[in-house]
Amino acid sequence: MEERENLFSSIPVCCCPHRGRGAVTVPIKKYKNVLSLLAFVAPALIIYSLFLLIPTVGGMYYSFTDWNGLNPNYSFIGLGNFIEALRDDPDFVNALLFTMKYVLFMIVLQNVFALVLAVFIETKTRTKGFFRTIFFMPNMISTIISAFMWTFVFSQVLPQIAEKTAMSFLDQLWIGDPKVSFYSIIIVSLWNGVGYMMIIYLAALQGVPQSLKEAAVIDGASPFQTFRKVTLPMITHAVTICFFLTLNGAFKVYEVVYGLTGGGPGRSTQVITMNIFEEAFSNNFRYGYASAKSVILFVIILIFTFIQIGVMKRKEVEA
Amino acid sequence: MRLRKGASLLITLFLSVGALISFFPIYLAIINSVKTQGEMFSSFLALPTKLHFENYSQAFDKINLLHSTLNSVIVSVIGIGGIIFCAALAGYKLSRTSGRLSAAIFSLFIASMLVPFHSIMIPLTRMAKALHVSGSTYGLALIYIGLGVNMAIFLYHGFVKSIPRELEEAARIDGCGEFQTFFRIIFPLLLPITVTIAILDFLWIWNDFLLPLLMLTDSNKYTLILSTNTLFGEYNKEWSLILAALVLTALPVIVIYGFFQKFIMQGIAEGAIKG
Repeated sequence: MEERENLFSSIPVCCCPHRGRGAVTVPIKKYKNVLSLLAFVAPALIIYSLFLLIPTVGGMYYSFTDWNGLNPNYSFIGLGNFIEALRDDPDFVNALLFTMKYVLFMIVLQNVFALVLAVFIETKTRTKGFFRTIFFMPNMISTIISAFMWTFVFSQVLPQIAEKTAMSFLDQLWIGDPKVSFYSIIIVSLWNGVGYMMIIYLAALQGVPQSLKEAAVIDGASPFQTFRKVTLPMITHAVTICFFLTLNGAFKVYEVVYGLTGGGPGRSTQVITMNIFEEAFSNNFRYGYASAKSVILFVIILIFTFIQIGVMKRKEVEA
Repeated sequence: MRLRKGASLLITLFLSVGALISFFPIYLAIINSVKTQGEMFSSFLALPTKLHFENYSQAFDKINLLHSTLNSVIVSVIGIGGIIFCAALAGYKLSRTSGRLSAAIFSLFIASMLVPFHSIMIPLTRMAKALHVSGSTYGLALIYIGLGVNMAIFLYHGFVKSIPRELEEAARIDGCGEFQTFFRIIFPLLLPITVTIAILDFLWIWNDFLLPLLMLTDSNKYTLILSTNTLFGEYNKEWSLILAALVLTALPVIVIYGFFQKFIMQGIAEGAIKG
């Protein structure tokens, strides 16, 4: 497959051991190859560098300074911002803990619901397409629009239903009481996100050979046993992917909370991204400090992702 | 798998309840968007007695629907087109070239895939200001290219491996230049993964909220989502108006979903498995 290009690229650029004719053509060809590589890559690399790479590096750089975004004179304060965020900023720590709780709920619930729906839908032949369409539909609607729709349901519809019927458990301060609104946030996130994971699980389930399941049934396995012992081990890669996607998405939650509670009442439902946003754009322009908070978010996501992938990849190998 | 009648019935029941919950908020938004405020508050669940489309004409003006939709379309089309153009070129070449430089550039693209948007939004807004791209629809599209290109390169890079090299060699022997070979021979073969990328990026860009919020200040340049957000903030008790605006905002994607359902689901499954 790779013979021709490899021949040239495996020869180091600067030193050519042979003198004479070949020595001239090889470096030129090599030089040409580099040029053509750069020509193909340049548009992507330039735009990517400007809007993603440099901001990433810049954010990390500023996180060690006391820059306020305006003053050209700023100084390095080492880990000062990080220490302040984690030790002296209860709002940030609360937002962090609130987000972690949210992530935990989402990872479990989103995947359980998505997998159950996928498995159930898979057993249907005639109504499969219909259910798939309906369950995925909320995912098409922008998160923020979903949150607004549910604000209507939570603040208007449910209280009215509770009033008119005997279902008094529906009469909650769905949005006003932080204890309840945590679950409101979860409900909307699930409503919006389960369909996406369900599609991935459905695709994985279709890859499980029918013959294996039939063999298990002939051997006398119950449907649940078949699922547990045959199907589930065959779709572990999908489980890993969905856990990864949920974990990554949930740490970055912003729109649902913004649309439903705005972080309130007070800062009781503030998530970490909201705290960063507030620090950077609506408070006192402490860019350095806000950057440190966003670096903390990045590091947390990185750590959890590596742990999750590491653990689940090992499981996958075993299975 | 064969299930007993009872179990099968229970599953149908469970799925039906789930489907009801799934559809419930959309249904409520639709039926209440054609009621008057008074009719709505007497019962949210009752079907409307008379269709009041004036909510829609009001919402239509308030969110500047045609203009906002046009802005969203411009951002999405340029953004997706740019991502595909840049990433296909780079992903193809990086996949075909071996050697340290190519590997280094590829890792440079991949390294940032886990960086959350919130970690770069502060420096990014400053960069956008410095380059004079903030506050413009085209500038916004340009930023989307920068943010989306790494994932697309990753997908192209993997896909190119499945295309035989003989095709390019034949084209070269026939006298095709490198770029010509790419655009005439390779790019059409990349169509399946291009569709996947286009779908994933469309869902992302069309529904995105935070980046337009940070970049756009002039309400004439607002995307659809942003206009609706502003309306929600300004008229937060006028539910009939808000619901009409929400339905108007959700409608285009639902219609697109109706047409391209199969591709969208395939795109998501493929994107996830390769990612």
